[in-house]
Amino acid sequence: MLVLVIGDFHIPFRASGLPAQFKKLLVPGKIQHIICTGNLCTKETLDYLRSLAGDVHVVRGDFDEGLNYPDQKVVTVGQFRIGLCHGHQIVPWGDVESLGSLQRQLDVDVLITGHTHHFESLNRDGKLFLNPGTATGAWTGLKTEVHPSFALLDIQSTTIVIYIYQLIGDEVKVEREEFRKPA
Amino acid sequence: MDEQEKLLEECMRNVKQESFQMKRCMDKDRLMDAIKHASTILMELRTSSLTPKNYYELFMGVCAELNHLQIFMLDEFAKGNRLTELYELVQYASNIIPRLYLLVTVGVVFIKSNENSRKDIMKDLVEMCRGVQHPLRGLFLRNYLLQETKHVLPDVADAPLASSDNGETNSVLTQSGTVFDSVDFILANFAEMNKLWVRMQHQGHSRDKVRRERERQELRLLVGTNLVRLSQLESIDIEKYSKHVLPGVLEQTVSCRDAIAQEYLMECVIQVFPDEFHLETLSTLLKACSELQPGLPPSLTLSPSFPLEDIVALEVALVNLALKCYPDRTDLVDQVLQNVDVIFQKQHVDEVPGDSAVCKELAKLLKIPLDHYQDILTVLQLPNYGKILAYLNFKPRKEISLYVAHNIVDHCTIISQQEQVEALLVMLTPLIEDHASFPVDPTDEEFVEEQTVVGKLIHFLKAEELDQQYLILGIARKFFGNGGIHRVCYTLPTILFAAYDLAYSYYLSEAEDPKWSKKCQKIFQFCHQTISVLAKLELFEVSVRLFLQGALAVSRTPFENNEQVAYEYMTQAFSIYEEEISDSKLQMMCVLLVIGTLEKIECFTEENHEPLRTQCALAAAKLLKKPDQCRALVAAANVFWSGKVRGGDAELRDTKRVMDCLKKALRVASQCMDNLVKIQLYVEVVDAYSLFQLRGVDQVTDETIVQMLQKIQEELPTLDVSDESVHINKYFQNSLDQLKKTKPELPF
Repeated sequence: MLVLVIGDFHIPFRASGLPAQFKKLLVPGKIQHIICTGNLCTKETLDYLRSLAGDVHVVRGDFDEGLNYPDQKVVTVGQFRIGLCHGHQIVPWGDVESLGSLQRQLDVDVLITGHTHHFESLNRDGKLFLNPGTATGAWTGLKTEVHPSFALLDIQSTTIVIYIYQLIGDEVKVEREEFRKPA
Repeated sequence: MDEQEKLLEECMRNVKQESFQMKRCMDKDRLMDAIKHASTILMELRTSSLTPKNYYELFMGVCAELNHLQIFMLDEFAKGNRLTELYELVQYASNIIPRLYLLVTVGVVFIKSNENSRKDIMKDLVEMCRGVQHPLRGLFLRNYLLQETKHVLPDVADAPLASSDNGETNSVLTQSGTVFDSVDFILANFAEMNKLWVRMQHQGHSRDKVRRERERQELRLLVGTNLVRLSQLESIDIEKYSKHVLPGVLEQTVSCRDAIAQEYLMECVIQVFPDEFHLETLSTLLKACSELQPGLPPSLTLSPSFPLEDIVALEVALVNLALKCYPDRTDLVDQVLQNVDVIFQKQHVDEVPGDSAVCKELAKLLKIPLDHYQDILTVLQLPNYGKILAYLNFKPRKEISLYVAHNIVDHCTIISQQEQVEALLVMLTPLIEDHASFPVDPTDEEFVEEQTVVGKLIHFLKAEELDQQYLILGIARKFFGNGGIHRVCYTLPTILFAAYDLAYSYYLSEAEDPKWSKKCQKIFQFCHQTISVLAKLELFEVSVRLFLQGALAVSRTPFENNEQVAYEYMTQAFSIYEEEISDSKLQMMCVLLVIGTLEKIECFTEENHEPLRTQCALAAAKLLKKPDQCRALVAAANVFWSGKVRGGDAELRDTKRVMDCLKKALRVASQCMDNLVKIQLYVEVVDAYSLFQLRGVDQVTDETIVQMLQKIQEELPTLDVSDESVHINKYFQNSLDQLKKTKPELPF
């Protein structure tokens, strides 16, 4: 089961579009679910995601004005409960201890957040905290060098293989990590 | 039509009868008698009663008979019977139609038998045919001339020099003629035929105009055949074509001042001659196009009978041709655009109606250079492009603008010069500004899509040189700033983020640019003004968010005085929030954003940080709903702990203020009337307490935490069983588990 984790597009405010290299990789028919951390900013990007997979989950980012997404969401994929929140509501931003509180609240195995535009994947006490970064490499006031990135989760029974796609220069670098649900 | 069929049948019957007689005479070698019968046959062609189509039928029948006569005469010549007087003799035929047909027949026989007379006879024949001025009869007579001379036209180039050693060859050439004589002959015939054809338009009643135009369309091939014949002359090369052929054809085409003829003949020229000829003569062709029939009285400008769209369609064909032959000659494309401009001016066209055929052709014309160059920069260099665009009315102009915008975004065309940016934005005005008669519906999908593209486009207005980029952003704001409330929310934020980025680029180049600091100040002043435009349009929420993003940008760009600027941005965000945001949900979101932002900003000295963080806690406590207050207070506690002031790397770690926030949060939670909400908040607060204890807030004691846990445990069973209560139980359990992991010694 392939799950695309992606977000913080900020089109058109901070980026003109998804990098061509990513567009080439993301083709319809391979991905079953999409989990999006928000900040699509326009309906066009949502339509694009819907063209890739039928099942698209989106939460509201701080720049999703006027679009009716929930603040938080829980999605069950296979044996995993996955929590989703953009993250601008959790202070300090990107702080894993503060995010831990939300993970317990939502009672999830995986908590996915965005906002920092910084890719992160962390196994903390048997819970996975994942931030796919920004799909477009959008500007942020939080850091200087921003690389476009997203994640692809291959979920098989109690294991998630995480493929991290990052665009560095003109090259897509892929890394692989594994997360096992504690027995 | 029965009448017509009867007439035709009768004519054909006469032809057959006379033809029988003619052949009998030929069998008996009585040439003069045969010619007399031929003359009678030809009398049939004098009729005025047949339609062009039926006249053509009759003509074909007569030609077949004349062919027999011609073969017979050629045989006679071959036998050595000198029939020199024949050419003179047929001129005595009583009627002009038979006389001229016979003259052509005999003339061709003479030429075929003896080439030396060719040049004179050709000249003679084409002149004599002027004798028939009736359009239909004249056209067919000349068609006969053209058809019969098809294989006898001289097709050799001139001898190199008249004074050549080979005097004999030259003297032969002067009698039998060269290709120049053929060109003169055909051009003369063409000019006469075209005049006859045009004259048809002006004969008879005006009520028959439609029928006449149809008949003219049927006859146009006869005129065009002249051009075909010219194109078949093999010794015509590019030079002869451009010097001798084309000028004659164009002169006739332009001077006839007839729309149907011009349209058809230009098409003919382009089709029958090879492309490489057109290459060489493109400017001549284009010039001629600009002179085509605009000479109508102005009041008739848009009369449906005058196909302006066809002229434009012709220009479309020309642009395609020019681009095919000279892909890099932008001047040729511009010349075509200029032609259209001239034509429109002459016809006093100010604006082309939206759904007219002309409009469609014009839109097609404007899209060609875009499609061809795939590069707006090249199109922007065409001085006449904008002029032609201006003839379209709002909707099609907007369509082209959108096409341009998509083109830029799809091809990632960087527009890096100020002048280019300005020219482009002028071109895109229909997308940038409101139009009085087309009110905007901000929820309309098309509008949203269109403005999204416009927003994307701003990313491509980009100079490498930083000062240049600053000027470009200034131009962009000037244009997009007039977009009105529904548009600026797509465009101005995009300009802002580009400006924030630009400021940081200046900082990175501080070594090369001693003025970088001043320039950053200027940029953030520009940004401040830009956000104020949004705020003035009452786009408050986005203004708050943009001021906060700006504060972050300022804080990490260490230019002189950045602290004051960041402070101004933060206070602007605060005051818009306090004065203008009234929706409680939005208030909550704004407060969280302000708190989150301040927690990250490191450029404030204590003097400025203190009032801001105090304000955060106050704003949190002043929120309308208790749960919002509680959560915002927990968030605010973080600013007092991990917030940083300038200079010191250390976090604030203000234990007292953290505790103030947490205690207040707990108190607010306890005030909630809804048990579900209250207990949910309790768990959140206890989570926060233990988190701060772990971080080192020593005022949070184990006892406090245990007390809170006990309270929650007592209250949990009071909840009615529901999905929510199950969730809260689960949350509590999770928090308890976590606590025990970090503090196994906790007595709970």
